[in-house]
Amino acid sequence: MIVYISRRLLSAVVTVLLASVIVFAAVQLLPGDVATQVLGQDATPDAVAALREQMGLNRPAALRFVDWVTGAVRGDFGVSLVSGEPVAATLWLHLRNTMLIAVATIAVAVTSSIVLGVLAGLYRDRWPDTVISTLTLVGMSVPEFVVATLLVLALSITVPVLPAVVLDEASAPVADLLPAVVLPTIALSVVMTAYIVRMTRTSVIDVMASEFVTTARLKGLGTGRVVVRHALPSALLPTLNVIAMNVAWLVGGVAVVENVFNYPGVGRMLLEAVHNRDLPVLQAIAVVSAAVYVLCNLAADLGAMALNPRLRTGERSAR
Amino acid sequence: MPRSPGAEGAPPRIPRRTALLGGAGALGAAVLLPGCASSGPRAAPALPEAAATGATADGGVLRMARPPASQAETLDPASSLSAYEYLGALYSRLVRMDAEGHTAPDLATGWEADDAGLVWTFRLRDGVRFHDGRRFTSADAAYTLRRIVDPDLASPQGTVLGPLIDPGRVHTPEPGVLVVELTTPNFEFPALLTNYNCYVVPDGDGDTIGSTGIGTGPFRLDSFSPGGRGRIVAYDDHWEGPPTLDAIEMFSMTDNQARTNALLAGQVDLISQTNLDFATARVVEASDRATIARSVNAQWYVLPMLTTAEPFTDARVRQAMKLAYDPRHIIDVALQGTGVPGNDNPVPPDTPYWTDYAVERDPERARALLAEAGHERLSMELYTSSYDPVFTPMALAYRDSVAEAGIDITVRNTSADSYYTQIWMQKPLMATYWYTGRPADQLLNQVFRSGSSYNETAWADDAFDDLLDAARATADEDRRRTLYQDAQRMVVDEGGAMTPMFADRLVGLSRDVLNYHESGFEFDYLNIGLRP
Repeated sequence: MIVYISRRLLSAVVTVLLASVIVFAAVQLLPGDVATQVLGQDATPDAVAALREQMGLNRPAALRFVDWVTGAVRGDFGVSLVSGEPVAATLWLHLRNTMLIAVATIAVAVTSSIVLGVLAGLYRDRWPDTVISTLTLVGMSVPEFVVATLLVLALSITVPVLPAVVLDEASAPVADLLPAVVLPTIALSVVMTAYIVRMTRTSVIDVMASEFVTTARLKGLGTGRVVVRHALPSALLPTLNVIAMNVAWLVGGVAVVENVFNYPGVGRMLLEAVHNRDLPVLQAIAVVSAAVYVLCNLAADLGAMALNPRLRTGERSAR
Repeated sequence: MPRSPGAEGAPPRIPRRTALLGGAGALGAAVLLPGCASSGPRAAPALPEAAATGATADGGVLRMARPPASQAETLDPASSLSAYEYLGALYSRLVRMDAEGHTAPDLATGWEADDAGLVWTFRLRDGVRFHDGRRFTSADAAYTLRRIVDPDLASPQGTVLGPLIDPGRVHTPEPGVLVVELTTPNFEFPALLTNYNCYVVPDGDGDTIGSTGIGTGPFRLDSFSPGGRGRIVAYDDHWEGPPTLDAIEMFSMTDNQARTNALLAGQVDLISQTNLDFATARVVEASDRATIARSVNAQWYVLPMLTTAEPFTDARVRQAMKLAYDPRHIIDVALQGTGVPGNDNPVPPDTPYWTDYAVERDPERARALLAEAGHERLSMELYTSSYDPVFTPMALAYRDSVAEAGIDITVRNTSADSYYTQIWMQKPLMATYWYTGRPADQLLNQVFRSGSSYNETAWADDAFDDLLDAARATADEDRRRTLYQDAQRMVVDEGGAMTPMFADRLVGLSRDVLNYHESGFEFDYLNIGLRP
C-alpha cells in the first residue's frame, strides 16, 4: 500500500515536471512573443525592441526556463511579463475564484447526476430512463458557451435576476462574487452531469444484473436496501474515475465559460496568458492544473481502493 | 468618375456561398434571436444612424465596457500601450481636430509659422490647471513634445514627429508661448499634434503619468487598474466648464460576447472599441434597453498587396488587382450596403485634402494587364481572420468579384490571435483596416512613405516622397492641397493598397445615453450624458 502510494506520488511529480517542459516548448513554438502580441498593430520594430529589452526577453529561452524552474522549486513563480505583478499572488486569487465555481459545480453535478444515473439504470428502457438519457445526450452535445448564452438570455436579459457578466476584479470579496457563480455553475453542471449520468447508468445496470444482487433479492431484501447497501457501492467504483477526470477538467477547462461571463478565474487568466504569450503565468497555471489533475486521479484510485475489497489485498481486513 | 456615396444600386446579388460563410460568425448571436428566424435579412430593420440627443440629466454615472489593451496597459498617452478610453477624458492636446477634419484650438489658442514653415509659435491658453492644481504652462507643452520624440519611449507618434523635432530646439520664451524650431519645413505641423499620443502631460511626470493620469481634461482619475476596472470623476475646474456626467466607470471585458451581454442585461451603458457584426447589432437594436449608434466612416478597410513580394513587385499586377474588383459588390456583401466606396484612396471623403479621383472598374483591362505581365491566370491566397467581423466577408466578396478578370483567389482564414504579427506585412495579400481620424499628411506619410514602420505595402517611390515633402514645405494652402491630391492619385494608380471602402463602426449603447458622439476614436466626453 505505502509502496503503491509513493510510486504514484513519484510519477505525479514527473508528470507535473513534464507538463511544465511541454508547455514551455509549446509557447516557444507559438508564433509571436509577448512583445509583439501586446503591441499588436503597433508592433513596429523600434517598439518591439524597446519592449523586449524592458521585459528581459533577449536572453536565450533555455536560460529563462532554468531560471523559472529554480524559482518555482523554491515556490517563487516569478512575475508576469505583461503586468509585472507576482504570478503566485494573482494565480492564488484566480484559483480561489475558480474553486468557487468548481466546488459548487461538483456539488450540484455529482449529486444530481448520481441520482439521475441510478434512476435511469433502475428504470432501464422505461420512460424515466428515456427522458434522462435524452436530456443528458442533449446536454453533452451542446457546447457550454451555447448553454451559457441561453442562460444569460433567460436569467439576465429576459428575467433579470442574475448578472450576465462579472464586473468585479479577481480581488473582489467572495460575497460579491457569489451571485455571479450561479450561471457558470449551471452551465458547467449541464455538461458535466451528462458524462457522469451515462457512466452511473451503465454501472447500475451491470451491477443490478450481477449474481450478488440477485442473491440479495432472493434473500428478500427490498429494492431500496439492495440499491443503497449492495448495488451502489459497486456501481460507484467506475464512476469515481469519471468524476475525478471531470473535476480536473473543471480547473483547467472552464476557460470558455469564464470568458463568456467575464469571470475572473483561472480559465480567463489562462486565455489571456496564452494570447499574450505570458510564459511565467502559463507555466504556473500548467503546473497547478497538472497537479490538480494528478491529485484528482490519485484520490479517485485510492477512493476506489477503499470501496473495493478486492483491491485491498495485502491489507488485513478491518473486521 | 467618382462613385456617389449615396447612390442606390440594384438589390445586392450575394453569391450564396459568400452569404453563408459571412453569416457563420453570427451564429453565436443568432441564438439570441428567438422568433426572428422567419424574417430574412431583407426584412431586418435598418440600424439607426445616430445616437439620441437632447437635454440630459444633471450628472449621473456612465458605465462603459471596454476591451483591455492588455495587463500592461497604461494611462501614459504617449505609450503604444495606452488605455485608450481614458485619454480623451483625462487630457487635452495643444491642437485638436474638429468634426470636418480641420485643426482647432485646444490648449493652444492660436499658432503661426514663419515664412519658411520652420519656426512655429503657439500661444497657450491662460488659467488652465492640471487636476493636481499645478498651472499649465509652456514648460509642460515642451516636455510633452520632447518626450514623444524620445527614442527610449518608442511612442507610435515618435516615428512621425521624430524626424521633425529636435528636443533641443523646443523653446519656452514665456509661460504662455511655445516655440518649436523644426528640422525641416512643415506647414502641416499643427495637424500632426492632433494625434492621441500628443495629449499634454505635466512637466517631469513621465515616470508616474502611467498610473496618475494627471491632465487638464474634463475628468480626473479616481482609480485605475491595468486590464481591470477604473473610475474617472468630473473635474469641476476644467477650462471648458465641467462635463455633464458626474463620473464614468470603466470595466474591462476581453470577450466580445461578454461585452454585448453586459449591455443587454443593463450592467453597462456603452461598449467602446467594438465594431458589432450586423447580426449582433440587430439583436442589440431589437432590445428594450439598448440600441445602436454609428461612428461614421470610423474605419477604412484595406487589402494591402506587399509590393516587395511576387507578383506584386510588378505595378501592372497591382493595377490589375484594383481594376478587377467592384467596391459596390464588396460593400453590399461585407457591409450590407451601408459603407462608402474608398476608390483605393484611404483619405476619408469630404475631409480637407481629399480628392474624388477614382478609376472605374474594368475587368477586361485587368485581364489585359495581367497578360502583359505574363500571367494568363493569376492564383493568389488572400489571408483573413476573425479579428474584425468584416475581414472575411470582404475577402470572399473580393474573390467573387475578381474571378471575371481571371484571378483565382483562395481565402485563407488564420488565427486572430497572431494575425498582426504573422500575417500583416508578412503575407503578400491579406485583409486589414485602419481607424480614421488622422490628418491626410500624417496618413500619407505614416502608411505610404518609403521606410515608414507602418508602411504595410512596403511601397517605396521617391517621386511620391518628394510630393509629400513639397506639400509640407508649401505655404499656400490651395497649392498644398493640390500636392496632397497628386499624392493620393499616385496611391490610387501605383500604390499597393486596395481600399474598397470606408465603414461606420456599429456601437452598442443604452437607450438612456444621450449626446454620444465619437469621431474616429475620440469621444465627446464633455457632452455625453444620461436621459433624465
